[in-house]
Amino acid sequence: MPVRIEALEPSHRPLLMGFQNQHPSLCEYLKRYALRHATKDLLARTFVAIDDAPTGPRLAGYFSLATVSVDRAAAEKHPDLTRLPRFPIPGVLLARLAVDARVQGQGLGRYLFEEALGLTLQLAKAGPVAFRLLVTDAIDATAARFYERHGLVRLSDEYPCRMVLDLRPILEPFRARD
Amino acid sequence: MARFQALTNTVLDAELEMLRKRLGLERSQKAEFLREIASLAAWVVQQTEQGREIQARDGRSVEPLVHPALERVRARKARPLGKALELSDREVERLTAVLERPFNPPAGLRAALASLANAGRHPPKLRWKKAVAA
Repeated sequence: MPVRIEALEPSHRPLLMGFQNQHPSLCEYLKRYALRHATKDLLARTFVAIDDAPTGPRLAGYFSLATVSVDRAAAEKHPDLTRLPRFPIPGVLLARLAVDARVQGQGLGRYLFEEALGLTLQLAKAGPVAFRLLVTDAIDATAARFYERHGLVRLSDEYPCRMVLDLRPILEPFRARD
Repeated sequence: MARFQALTNTVLDAELEMLRKRLGLERSQKAEFLREIASLAAWVVQQTEQGREIQARDGRSVEPLVHPALERVRARKARPLGKALELSDREVERLTAVLERPFNPPAGLRAALASLANAGRHPPKLRWKKAVAA
């Protein structure tokens, strides 16, 4: 069976401990905090990629979404954003995106990013709130290159890890009306 | 428990009462009763989520378990989250037009948007390598 994406819930608990990644913090978050943040603390919602392998289901990757506001002053390098009022700019934070080390290089990271982008666009298109940015914090140079390929740019020198995607041009077709 | 009783009607109460007796539980064991039927229901839902069908077999007679709730579980599993971004034909046209205009996304973003607009989009098939040293 193919990989399926599901919102993390308690029934996934047995699958969490087997997750492997070169960044211990990404494993630890999944194993110790993701479920609590999603169900009790309401800080972030995590979506997991479940691979129904013949040996049983395995958790192949995950991403977490939360909300964020970006310091307007930090966006001085982005001409479109400097036209905005001097308030914090709201956005959706792609807080984490990780693929199990044993299945890296097979397109799952790209697929998970698409899912995160799709959910973000759906919320922006049809949800009851407005926001301007998709934001992430690249964990290393490889992650930064991955996000750059997908259109995210570094926010500023002050926040070297923080990367943003201005959603306005992408949302243009949905804002236009017949 | 009082709230549970208030939400159920007489017929449902009677059905639950019969089920309690068939499970060999006393009237005072309502919490155990609920726990047991929740456990049984959870197993049924889990099997369905994993794509399995539950059947009652008696010789050649085979009766599959059919219930609208299980259909909902199957439908939910069969619907990838990416499908949540449902674009109308007009929106796909507009998106295509925007991609050709001064907004010039990098190839990766362009591919991601095109993929999201593709009804036939599907996740990659994975090959698991052996354990990676920590």
